[in-house]
Amino acid sequence: MADIDKNTDTGATAPTEDKTITRRRFLAGIGGAGVGIVLGGALFGGFLLPDEVIAIPASEGYLLVDSKKCQGCNTCMMACSLTHHGVQSLSLSRIQVIQDPFASFPDDKSISQCRQCASPTCVEVCPTHAMHVDDETGIRTVDASKCIGCQKCVTACEFDLSRAGWNFQDKHAQKCDLCLETPFMDAEGGPGGQQACVAVCPTGAISFTSEIPIQSDAGYQVNLRDEGWAALGYPIDDEGKVSPAAPASTGH
Amino acid sequence: MAANGYVGKILRLDLTARESSVIDTEEYEQWGGGHGIGSALFWDLCKDKTVDGRDPGNVLTIMTSPLSGTMAPSASGRVEVQGIGTAGYPVNWFTRSNFGGRFGGQLKYAGWDGIVLEGKADGPVWIDIVNDKVVFRDAGDLWGKDTQETQKLVWKMKENEEHGWSEVGSSRDAGRTTQKPAIMTIGPAGENLSSLGCILHDAGNAAGQGGFGAVFGSKNLKAICVVGTGSIEVADPAALFNARMWAKDEYAAKPGQPAHPNGPTFGVDPAPVLMYAKNPGDPKGPQACQGCINGCRARFSTGLANESSCQETSMYKAFDVLAHGEGTDASIIATDLVQKMGVNSYELMQGMGYLYALSKMGVLGKGLEIDTELDMSRIGETDFIETLVDMISNRKGIGEDLADGFVRAAEKWGRLEQDWASGILDFPYWGYANHGYDPRAEVEWGYSSIMGDRDMNEHGFNANFWSVIKHMMGGIEMPVSAEEYAKITTAKMVPYQDDMSMVDYSTENIYSESFAKLVVWQRHYTRFWKQSALYCDFRYPDFTNYNRLDNVGLTGDGEPVFWNAITGQDLTFLEGIDLGRKIWTLDNAIWILQGRHRDMVQFAPYIYDIPLEGSLVGPFYPMAGRVDGEWAFINTLGRSIDRDGFEEWKTHFYNLEGWDTATGWPTREVLEELDMADVATVLENEEKLGGM
Repeated sequence: MADIDKNTDTGATAPTEDKTITRRRFLAGIGGAGVGIVLGGALFGGFLLPDEVIAIPASEGYLLVDSKKCQGCNTCMMACSLTHHGVQSLSLSRIQVIQDPFASFPDDKSISQCRQCASPTCVEVCPTHAMHVDDETGIRTVDASKCIGCQKCVTACEFDLSRAGWNFQDKHAQKCDLCLETPFMDAEGGPGGQQACVAVCPTGAISFTSEIPIQSDAGYQVNLRDEGWAALGYPIDDEGKVSPAAPASTGH
Repeated sequence: MAANGYVGKILRLDLTARESSVIDTEEYEQWGGGHGIGSALFWDLCKDKTVDGRDPGNVLTIMTSPLSGTMAPSASGRVEVQGIGTAGYPVNWFTRSNFGGRFGGQLKYAGWDGIVLEGKADGPVWIDIVNDKVVFRDAGDLWGKDTQETQKLVWKMKENEEHGWSEVGSSRDAGRTTQKPAIMTIGPAGENLSSLGCILHDAGNAAGQGGFGAVFGSKNLKAICVVGTGSIEVADPAALFNARMWAKDEYAAKPGQPAHPNGPTFGVDPAPVLMYAKNPGDPKGPQACQGCINGCRARFSTGLANESSCQETSMYKAFDVLAHGEGTDASIIATDLVQKMGVNSYELMQGMGYLYALSKMGVLGKGLEIDTELDMSRIGETDFIETLVDMISNRKGIGEDLADGFVRAAEKWGRLEQDWASGILDFPYWGYANHGYDPRAEVEWGYSSIMGDRDMNEHGFNANFWSVIKHMMGGIEMPVSAEEYAKITTAKMVPYQDDMSMVDYSTENIYSESFAKLVVWQRHYTRFWKQSALYCDFRYPDFTNYNRLDNVGLTGDGEPVFWNAITGQDLTFLEGIDLGRKIWTLDNAIWILQGRHRDMVQFAPYIYDIPLEGSLVGPFYPMAGRVDGEWAFINTLGRSIDRDGFEEWKTHFYNLEGWDTATGWPTREVLEELDMADVATVLENEEKLGGM
């Protein structure tokens, strides 16, 4: 269950533009500069001035996930809803782990986390600037008081599973803010602070980086598996197709 | 809804009338959750507690706890199932089982703390729960399908995805989720009322022992499906988060790294417990129940036997090796098969050993005394287990006898007495298969099982057996001596703390009052903390934890921390154990109404008459014990249980409980002390009150 761009057929070219260099590759290529470029007009008609190029700051942090290391316990999701909302809920979590118990590894799980896109369509489509880029951290996040509930951000998100979620309990959009506003977590969140999902993950399948990742169609999927992981009997190659030497049988 | 982990409602389903109603959870919160609430509901709602497990009058409870669906580590995913079973012998006791996965969380997100099943539908049904909406649906198309097919078919019926999120109602604010509906279902074995029938959830979670699959089947209930999009409110969210981090940082294995070997306790790493003779070499990834601190299972690139772990992965091993000289894929296919068909792998494994022995004796086979088409020469091959499981699941041929359990089959064949005397029928307690932790060596397992209703399946003290074995196999020294193990463990066993003799497994000590304290403590601890609060048996209790410099596990400190952060209570570890005592006593009252008396509390004869010579891993069964006053990990093989010694031990046990030693029945004094005067009155009316 790869993290596929829903608007992309081949995984190489965004259909909404006709350019020799794909938008994605372009953004990835400039990402190292720490600045994302929003191309207006043809791409995002109606919300920005035609043909205008506006620089917006890149996020100061990103979540990296390794679904091949995920044990599917959903603790990250419970931690997310707990620290943000003070309740235990999978539906209110801004990170989503999806699994099929009968599927074959590694297609049995996928982790959907917000990528803090360099070019955040969720921000761009928001008519009220409720979905916005935080001035201090560059995090793409929601000012719930400004949200009018149009859900344009939810449908604009480029991925199969929208990373902009709809909080149907409090009636506003929400998304991963890297724990910038976590009233129920004692530790400081946000870039430089603690992310609840990273902190609680039992296997270390989620990590934080301040460097803008090079993204592929598989998203910010990275290999977080090392020799210690192999010693548990799990594959550590990128594709998850090579088993390490079988460990001894154990039992209880 | 109070912010206390409960979501406020218990769903009461009358299958006969196809109607649902609501019980306020608050009425039962004094019982904690899980088993405690289940026993109390059963006491109140099952009018005739002497009915058969398959009778429409039987009441089945499916209960979560305040911890279900929360971040309490390794406590979020389990669900307790209770009712009169179908697998007990000579009596189908009121019994329990419990399964992991994510059903409990989904049920609570849907707004239900539990489910009560009563009556019998007039045709196959499944229950469709979406938040507070509950619908009885026709299951004609699902009947006959295996557990995997059933779940996939139900998922297909419920597909309603938009942009990756499934809407659960027509309004945009009705709720949405990315999660597949959680389903508990039976396979053909349960449909055909076999006592080997389990209730399955996802690929590898089962309420396996007790024969609850047949209870579902007897009610014409194929499956319960639940989707929940709501929230669970907790008393102190930040404290809950901090407690999880404390447990992770201080006690758990380092993320993604091997831990120091131990038995099934809190500190072990997220490696699957695979016991095949030859473990699959196929790539695999970890898999855990909801909220687990480190899971015990895997999913494979083959998709075969996903989520299976521990005993079910060893169920065909011996026969596979017998047929092939080594482990083959036959073992893995067999494990996958029993999960799909919903068959109890414990009973099947020991039962196959029994059939094999009978065939070697020339008693069972085509044209023999026990005449069967089952070709015993094929044992170990895939076609053999497919045939046998089909015969049992569908009551074909010899399967008609076996479907009611191997002990009842032996009785029907007129062989029970002799095969229990020789021990080839290795079912030592209440007609349940030997778990492999034989009462003669690991005595507490046997005592706790026979004082209860089933193979107890609680690994708290057994963890040390595995710890010693793993160190032996790895050629490394145990981090603690036997004396240090005894000291660390017994220090946590309130209110009997520091009596180190409680964990002395030497033959001189196993009939003592101290050894009775061990079992009493275990009955009370597990009844509340594991079966009511629903901390997982594979992670709790955590006596010794070798991730720590002091080797001291989190039990005692850990269990109440999460309970209190979620419920807002100020419950101590001992108060939880005291509540466990109350629940355990209520369970005993139910068994007494079913006919329990001290005199019938006996193991199968071979446990007394034939010394045990081998364990699961060879000619040694290490447990802590004293030799000439010195502590060591002693080999407990080579002994049997002494009949008079066991009687002395039972007297100690009943005395510690405050029950009548002649009958094993609680007294009014004890019941009133536990605030159960009404229970005393019921027992008195039946002339079954202790001390009368």
